[in-house]
This record gives sequence, structure tokens and C-alpha cells, in this order.
Amino acid sequence: MEALQGIAAASPSKPRSRRTGPADLFRTLAIGAVMILVGLLAPKAVPSSYYLGLLVNAAVLGISAVSIGFLAHQSGLMMFGAAAFTGGATYLYAIAITQFGWNVMAASAFTLLASTLLSAAIGALIVRARPLPFAMLTLALAQMLRSFVLITDFRPITGGDDGLPLSFEGAFFGFSQAQLSRPEGFWPVAWLSLCGVMALAWAVGKSPTGQALRAIKANEERMRFSGFDTYGPRVLAFTLASFMASLAGLLTGLYTAFASPELLDFSTGGNALVSTLIGGVGTVGGPALGALLYVIGQDRFGATGNLEFLTGLGVVLVIYVFPDGIMGFIRAGAAKLSGREASGRSEGENASR
Amino acid sequence: MEFLHLFSAAQFANSLALASLLTILASGLALIFGLRDVMNFAHGALFMLGAYVGYTVSTLLDFWAALAIVPVLLGLLGAALEYATIRPLRKRSQMDVALVTFGLALMLSQAVIKIWGAAPLAVGAPPSLAGSTDLFGEPYPTYRLFLIATGFGVCIVLALWLRYTRTGLHVRAVSQYPAVARILGVDTDRLGLLVVCMGTGLAGLAGVLAGPYLSVDPALGASILINCLIVVVVGGLGSIGGAIAAAVVFGLIEVFGSLLSPTLAVTAPYLLLFFVLLWRPQGFGRGRVG
Repeated sequence: MEALQGIAAASPSKPRSRRTGPADLFRTLAIGAVMILVGLLAPKAVPSSYYLGLLVNAAVLGISAVSIGFLAHQSGLMMFGAAAFTGGATYLYAIAITQFGWNVMAASAFTLLASTLLSAAIGALIVRARPLPFAMLTLALAQMLRSFVLITDFRPITGGDDGLPLSFEGAFFGFSQAQLSRPEGFWPVAWLSLCGVMALAWAVGKSPTGQALRAIKANEERMRFSGFDTYGPRVLAFTLASFMASLAGLLTGLYTAFASPELLDFSTGGNALVSTLIGGVGTVGGPALGALLYVIGQDRFGATGNLEFLTGLGVVLVIYVFPDGIMGFIRAGAAKLSGREASGRSEGENASR
Repeated sequence: MEFLHLFSAAQFANSLALASLLTILASGLALIFGLRDVMNFAHGALFMLGAYVGYTVSTLLDFWAALAIVPVLLGLLGAALEYATIRPLRKRSQMDVALVTFGLALMLSQAVIKIWGAAPLAVGAPPSLAGSTDLFGEPYPTYRLFLIATGFGVCIVLALWLRYTRTGLHVRAVSQYPAVARILGVDTDRLGLLVVCMGTGLAGLAGVLAGPYLSVDPALGASILINCLIVVVVGGLGSIGGAIAAAVVFGLIEVFGSLLSPTLAVTAPYLLLFFVLLWRPQGFGRGRVG
């Protein structure tokens, strides 16, 4: 529960008020610091290792969801194939460990650097596409990677459909593999990464680049006529989003110590996409909240044996009932309670055309 | 010589068989997208449902009955889709509606597993089409020839309907300029209902036709959906002619690619998508850019 409240508190509560004075900034930093601390103490409050494991999954899924939400909100582009970047990063990490025999720190640094560079190159090609072709392109990228790792010729490197089990030597920021494989040991890593990603997404959103990005989303032609570079910022946004997604992929590799082709499935990218939409793309906290709800839902639905059916039903109902995601609903409710008009609505809409 | 030998009539027919299935599905998907601006992620699941219902009807009655009944049933389901999903969510973004259809696809595929079980089912070709035919000196399964003929026949009828009837003209008008068509008095709702029913009905038809060609299993929908999306996007969103051309190219690449180099074959469709979208974002046809 702490995590949930922390996430809700961390999102910029009034996006319309642009007065970011020092007092405002200080308050945000203070809320952020409290949230990080509360989150770090979560293992004390969570009764069992099983539920902490769910929280870890939610945090990792939350990172991918924040990355999708960031790109959707800032650029109006939906990554249908986020799995390409998360799963791709897991595979890069796995290959660095098993093939190159690097230690965990070198492999992690390599994963983030290589996937960021690769996605910058991919972004340079595909951000020009309109939203729907863009979504298809990323989806195709994920599918292509998936068929790539399953190719029999590459089996020695990628492990084919058996996947790649990986065990690393040395320590990741002082954590050994045995420690990282337990939810208690991994939680600080996952939580701090999620906070870092949310802070990054929030800061970029507040920055002049973020403002330019949303203006480009609203009317690209007009921005170009006004003398703004409309291409560079979008490539930057895409690269940042894929960096976040590849961080999630790296964490998956560190936590599960296994790279499997399922990581590249449409459904894996779908998990993050659905989380993002459940939470709502208007805020940084929305997707993270969506991921938490999604993981809890999957756990509950899985117990009934009708996982897919209930997930599908949940997706349909949430989209029908909460047009701006749960977070949009919460914010609209909060605004109504405090006597203001729901200012989050216009901000939260994700017009994709 | 080895290389040339690969390009036999049988292989060519194989690519056409795959292409004909894809054209039926893709033209339904393209029609729905053109009229309703909805990327129907449930299309693969509807296709799978069509295959399963087709299996049941063929075992109860016979294949020809299934071929007639299943498209009608799926068309009725399409009407439900139109009234329950597309109309209420008209004001929402494309992505929201796409995600709703994705959710429906998840529900549908599990419902199918609950009813028919997860094991693959085999559907036999009807007796009159069970044998093989002489194709330029090589024996070739008759059913596949039937599949090719039906698939492309349906698409030609569809293309003629779009080209030469008043309703077809309206469909094309709405696909190109929805607002203008409405101003000129075209009833887009009535047309939308018709087209969504046709699209899902075609998915059902493709499902029945696929039965004896592929085995009927729950994974059928997901695997063909991605290919179908590629075909529709490559063909030009909302363009039927483009979708037919793209499906044929796709079928050729898939079949001959897997003969030349399996490594190439798995990535070729995606590379095709990348090249087409980056080089000619509107696709082969004259559809709208999404």
C-alpha cells in the first residue's frame, strides 16, 4: 500500500500550473525523497516474500509502462512492441554474460549503452512515421527479434526456444547473484530504478524539450514553420523511452537470470501497454500505478484459471469506464473534491492522430 | 540449376494458397479500418473462432454447409462488435479502440479453449476435393487449388462490388474522406455496420477455408494476425487492392524465402514492412495514411 500511495503522491499533481517556483520544486523534491524512503522500507511492511515478489514484478513492469506512457504523452506515439526493447536488452545482457564472459557490471553497462545506441539509430528511421504505422513498426521489430532468436542457426548464441540461463560472477553494486535472485535483495534495485525512471520522465516532461515535444504532437507543421526542429526532439524522446525500456529488460535479466523468447512476445509488450493504458498516460505515476494494478490483477486472475479471459475483460472494462486511465480518474476526482474543475482531462487525453 | 529448380509450379501455388487466405482476412481488416478507423486486433481471434465453428459444423453437417453458415454467424458477431464497441467508443482514440479489440481477442481465444480444448483438431477436406490434381506434371492437393480459387474469387467479387456498385462507391468515399462523404449525405453508420459485418464474415470464411489447409488450433489467431497487419499496412491502410497485392507479395516471400534461406524467411516480412513504410508510407495502394 505504501508503494501505491507513494506513486500517487509523486506524480505532478497540477500540470496546468506552470509556476515552478523554488518552493514548488522543493516540495516536489521532498515528496520524491519521502517516496523513495517509504518505498525502500516496503519489505518491512509486506508480509511475505511472495507479495514482495509481486511488487518487484510490478516495479519492473512499471518501468516499461512509464517508458511507453512517456513516449505516448510527449510524442503521441504508442510503442506496441515495447518487448523489442525490454526483451532485446535482456538478450544483450545475456549474450554479454554468456558469450563475452564479461562481469556483471561491464555487461550491464554494455546492455544499456548498446541498446540506447541501437534504439537511437532505429528511432532516427521510424519516428517520422505516423502513430499507427509507428505502432506497427515497433510491433514488427519485436516479432522480428523474436523470430531471430528462434532461428536454429543462432541456437549456440541465443539458446533457441530453450532460452539462455545465465549466472554472473562478481557483484552488481555490491549485490551477489544469490542476493539479487531473492525479492528482498532485488527490491531496492527495482524500486530505485523505477524512481529514477519516473524522475527522468517527469524532468524531461517539465523541461523546454518536453514542452516542444507536446507542441510538436499537437501540430507538427506549425512548429516547423515557427522555426523549431521537430525531428531531433522526437528522436531524443524515442531514445529516452527505449533507454527506460532497456533498463527494465536489464533488470529482468538480473532478477530472473534467464533470457527466454517469451520476453519478445507480443503479449509481453502487451502487458506493459495494457498497464500504461490502465494507469493513464497523462502522468508519470499513472503507468506505474497501472503496472501495480495489472500485476495484482494477474495474480488474482491466475488463481481462478481464467487468466486471459479475465485480463481481456479487465482491459475492456477499464478502457470503457476510465477514458484517462485510473490515474486520470483519481485526479479528476481529487480536483472535484478540492473544488476545482478537472484540469487533468485535457492533459490526459491521448489523441493519437 | 538447384536454385531454378526451387521455382516450381507447386511452390508457386503454395504461395498463392497462403496469399489467398491472407487476402480474405486482410481485405476484411482493411475494410473495417477504412470505414471505422479501427485496427481490429480481434480479427485473428475471429478467424480462429471461424475455424472452430467451421470444424463443428463440418462434423455435424458437412463442409459446404460450414462454408455457408459460419460467415453468416461471424457477420452477426460483427454486428454485435459494431453496436457494443465501435459506436460507443467513437469519440475515443484509435489506440483505445484497438486495445479494446485486443482485450476482446484475449477473451475470445480463452473462450475457444474452454469450449473446444487446447489440442489441435484436424479437419478433412470434403470428399470431392480430397485428392490431388495434376499441376504442370506434378500432383498437387486439389483442396489448395480450391482455396486459391475461392480466396481470389472472393477478393475479385469484393473489388468489383467496390468499383461498380453505388454502395461500393460510398464505401470508397467514406474510406478516403469521411467528413466530405457525410456532408454529401452518405449514411456512414449504416455503411459501417454493413462493412464491419462483412469484415468479420470474411474472417469466418477464411477460418472455414483454413480448416483443411492448416490444423485448427488456438494459436492460429495470434500468428496470422501479425501477418495480416503487415499485409494491411504494407498494402496501404484501408485499401483493398493494395491489400491483395501485398498479400501476394507476402505469400511469395514467405514460401520462396523459406526454400532459399530459412533465416531470411522469418525476417523478410518484417523487412518488407520496414522498407515499405519508410520508403512509401502510404503503402502499395491509395489508402489513407493512418
